[in-house]
Amino acid sequence: MTASKQKQKSDSKAVDSTLIRRLYQFLKPYKWYLVLALVLTLVVSFSGPLRPFLIQIAIDDYIATGDVPGLTKIVLFIFGVLVVESVLMVGVTFITRWIGQGALLSLRNAVFEKIQSLHVQFFDRNPIGKLITRTTNDIEALSDLLSSGVVNIIGDLFRIFFILLFMFAMSWELTLVSISILPVLFYATFWFKSKVRVAFLDIRDWIARLNSFVQEHINGMSIVQLFGREKKEMQKFSAINNEHKAAHIRTIFYFAVFWPIVEVLSSLAMALVIWYGGASVLSGTLTFGILVAFIQYVRLFFLPIRDLSDKFNTLQSALASSERIFSVMDEENEVKEVSHPITLKPKSHDISFRNVSFKYLEDGEQILRNVSFSVNDGETVAVVGATGSGKTTLINLLMRFYDIKEGEILIDGHNIKNYALSCLRRCFGLVLQDNALFSGSVYDNVTLGNQNISLEQVVAAARAVEADRFIEKLPGGYNYVLHERGASLSMGQRQLLCFMRALVYNPGVLILDEATSNVDSETEALVTNAIDTLLKNRTSIVIAHRLATIQHADKILVMHKGEIREQGTHQQLIKKRDGIYRRLYELQYKDQAA
Amino acid sequence: MKELLKLNRFFWKYKGTVLLGTLFLVSANIFLVWIPILIRQTIDAVEVLTTENKYTGLGLWEILTSAEGGGLLATNTAYLMLAVVLYGVLLYATRQTLIVTSRKIEFDMRNEIFDRIQKLPQSFYSQNKSGDIYVRATEDVQRVREYFGPAFMYTIQTVSRAAIIITIMVLVNPVLTLWALLPLPALTLFAYWVSGFIHKRSNEIQEQYASLAGRASEAFSSIRLIKAYAREDYEKKRFMHESEIYRRRKLRLDVVESLFHPMLSLLIGLSIVLVIWQGGIMVVEGIITVGNIAEFIIHVTYLTWPVASLGYTINLIQRSAASQERIAKMMRTPNEIQDNEETASDIREIKGHISFQNISFRYPKAEALALDRISFTIKPGQTVAFVGRTGSGKTTLVQLIPRLFNPTAGSIQIDGRDISTLPLGVLRKNIGFVPQDTFLFSDTIAENIAFGLENCSIKEIERAADNAQVLENINEFENGFDTMLGERGITLSGGQKQRTSIARAIIRKPSILILDDSLSAVDTKTEDAILTHLKSEFKSKTTVLISHRISTVKDADCIFVLKDGKITESGKHEELIAKQGYYATMYKKQLLEQELAQL
Repeated sequence: MTASKQKQKSDSKAVDSTLIRRLYQFLKPYKWYLVLALVLTLVVSFSGPLRPFLIQIAIDDYIATGDVPGLTKIVLFIFGVLVVESVLMVGVTFITRWIGQGALLSLRNAVFEKIQSLHVQFFDRNPIGKLITRTTNDIEALSDLLSSGVVNIIGDLFRIFFILLFMFAMSWELTLVSISILPVLFYATFWFKSKVRVAFLDIRDWIARLNSFVQEHINGMSIVQLFGREKKEMQKFSAINNEHKAAHIRTIFYFAVFWPIVEVLSSLAMALVIWYGGASVLSGTLTFGILVAFIQYVRLFFLPIRDLSDKFNTLQSALASSERIFSVMDEENEVKEVSHPITLKPKSHDISFRNVSFKYLEDGEQILRNVSFSVNDGETVAVVGATGSGKTTLINLLMRFYDIKEGEILIDGHNIKNYALSCLRRCFGLVLQDNALFSGSVYDNVTLGNQNISLEQVVAAARAVEADRFIEKLPGGYNYVLHERGASLSMGQRQLLCFMRALVYNPGVLILDEATSNVDSETEALVTNAIDTLLKNRTSIVIAHRLATIQHADKILVMHKGEIREQGTHQQLIKKRDGIYRRLYELQYKDQAA
Repeated sequence: MKELLKLNRFFWKYKGTVLLGTLFLVSANIFLVWIPILIRQTIDAVEVLTTENKYTGLGLWEILTSAEGGGLLATNTAYLMLAVVLYGVLLYATRQTLIVTSRKIEFDMRNEIFDRIQKLPQSFYSQNKSGDIYVRATEDVQRVREYFGPAFMYTIQTVSRAAIIITIMVLVNPVLTLWALLPLPALTLFAYWVSGFIHKRSNEIQEQYASLAGRASEAFSSIRLIKAYAREDYEKKRFMHESEIYRRRKLRLDVVESLFHPMLSLLIGLSIVLVIWQGGIMVVEGIITVGNIAEFIIHVTYLTWPVASLGYTINLIQRSAASQERIAKMMRTPNEIQDNEETASDIREIKGHISFQNISFRYPKAEALALDRISFTIKPGQTVAFVGRTGSGKTTLVQLIPRLFNPTAGSIQIDGRDISTLPLGVLRKNIGFVPQDTFLFSDTIAENIAFGLENCSIKEIERAADNAQVLENINEFENGFDTMLGERGITLSGGQKQRTSIARAIIRKPSILILDDSLSAVDTKTEDAILTHLKSEFKSKTTVLISHRISTVKDADCIFVLKDGKITESGKHEELIAKQGYYATMYKKQLLEQELAQL
């Protein structure tokens, strides 16, 4: 082994021990329960091997002597031990699982909290699916380790120890004879485990292939049928299916070899006990009771040994998962607060952008170029432009979803970076188009769980945007539970709920991202008045897609390729013969005038 | 259950192996019971010898080599080993026959189901969630296999082992047998209850797991909104709530799982305790021997798993039956699109004259018509185009030509014949279809292009790629045409995908070429090259285009504007511009967009 490889290996050991230490933090609150579980495990591992010993006494001291009352007594005692053992075993299993579930719960919540707290860019870089996996699958993979894992390993070791202890105490010679097969058993078990692990990986691989083939062909079935490929694809499927079968049959072979070997070995041990033990009984150095006890002991050995080899694998996969989990936990939030942030609400909502340039990725496209503008308190500013011109980015920056490196953004004369994040964001009421509703009641969707907002306020907001009529018709009214993010509501109704949310939060600045594509006439009718209500006497920035909004705006910013190319009111801008606004108007808004 | 029994025909196919395996299993159990019997005989013989006090005080070695005592021990031990080895070999043979057969049956079943889902009509796919179909063909099959595998084997195992062991026990002493078996029915019942409970609870846990993941998904995808309203704490609380429910449900299952092993060992232990107690009394009374007690203890241990697995097996069979029910239901779906007695099977060629006569179409379970009395005619050699908003019915319309769906009313004729009388294979073979979603398979690029043309040369593939203007891109890849796509390979850009799927369609040299919005991600220059090529290569063929771009459709022989399933405008580019309708507006807007882009 080269030096670098050795170093790697010791590094990974170090990583493992830090991982374990970090995982232990989540078990720490249950420290004393763990101790209790260990003590109980100790008792259980003792009482199991105790029974054959008691049976030996029953045979030798009572049955052999014909002492029936004595026999009844010891049988009752054995039964008592059995009951206590069973009860303790239930207890120990449940306690360890309870501990494990508790630790998993806090770990899962911690991961969720951490991810949620991270900057928005983190969500751009990591697909949602991966983040969900961190909070669910990866945690689940730790389940075995955190619940029964450690306690079981210790329990199994104790059990082996106690079995040997009892055996040696009864007859060390017979013990040596009967455990002579143990090395073979160990070898067979570990051979089997290593083979089966590889074979299982192989099976998993083929199952994955088989399933993804099926999945893909269900999705692309129209192509298969259009191109008349049914026969060919059947052949392909059959080939994969065949490999899948072969992988299973290979595994069956290992099982078919291993299980009989285990059986044979344990019976072999029994045969040895009978042969050697029989002779010892004849010579008078051993009793029948001991013989019967040994027959039971040799069978007891196998379970803990098999368990131990199992646990070894779970441990490894658990460590792999925890590595992924902690790498998320170590992620740093890139949008930070300054050390003494402003926590007071700004007095005015004058907003100004000064020479702001921005790109999402270091080596990416320039999204904003030297953008400067201001919004005075109480004004409505409409932002227009083609798709990709940078409209939404303005809002992302203003709310500090991303931090800028060039230029500055001020609110009430202070750089937004100097405000506490919550204080800054509370100035704004953001009305988004996508992913704006959650599963939950209408009321919860409007308040977002803010206890300070009363039902009266929500109802008042509903009246203001004229949403009360449709909400009252819903079964349960304000308690109507939305499923799949409000899929059962029309687009216009969903927007009204978002408007209500902005109203009840009563923000200093309203930020509205109007729906783009195909606003149907029903939606148009629903939202027109609502938007007027919303914008009245409020500082607002609107990414405008409706003519009515831009016509009433105090100022229109025309974005084009990351720059503000024109500014002014509708009347002023429309007069510019070759202006961008004029063309945009023709393209996007003119139809609405009709 | 009825459906499951129908599956026994698979057993029939492998009847030889199944029978052999059953035989192996039964004989394995016969040898297994030798073990306790031999142990009893040995102990009894030793006991007799001990009472004669022949060997007391002698060294072990002397005893083991003595003729009577040593001989007895050696013979019995040898028999014991023989029984053990035979048992082991037979057990191996059982697994290699019965379980291997269950995998073979699984193979057959999977093939049968895949074959069936390939034959299901598109109307089935549009009515059923693809996820459900997927589960039928994967998880449900897996469940049904358990009927052939574990369920079958365990049943034989339990029945044969119990029958043999109990017979022998009864022969020794019926009363003690009764005592020993007393706790076993409880074991079966308990195992049945537990496995049912576990199954039910596992489903609940799975559901809660899904809502937990759902919460995380909602929160993470709405992260802007949450941050904008500073609702992180609230979301965290909601997640924690789901998390807590999940924990509680897990614990409910844990209670039962914690009960399982201790209960098992309690009942078995109880059985042994009863044997010691009642057996002990009988030994004292001289009815049985100590050897019988040892024997009974081993018998009981041998019975543990088979008896417990009985409860588990019953559950397994119930679940298999439920899965098979679902599979069978899917397999029964009628296929209304296939050749029948009215098919004119002598037709081999199609020229490409298409005519729609008053075609209406309604999707299954939909209220509104997707197509409303559409009529038009396309002559061979013509290019026609369809434009219109999303949802206006363009895709539905072209899907009727290769009979992915049958029209609800009206008649589609090709070369003057109703398409329902054309052999389906011939019809589809003569159509080159480029669907909107440009679906490609996880296979090499060459395989994807050659899809649907049997035995084509690499030359033909290259030519098709060249004509679809994707050859250069493919050659830039390290492995060229052998580049894998999809999960195990690379992801093509939208434009590359579209051009590859165009190549896939034109390699068939079809009489009818259908491009469903298949040039949207291709830049206008490349688009022009593709269209120019099509015009020369497919001069005598029929081309149907769907597009949102004027540049794609402007040279068509006829352009149709669809709105809500009806044709509202039709004519050549210039005629439509002059009409000042939807098409003219679309044209103006695209001019403006171009101007803006150039600013």
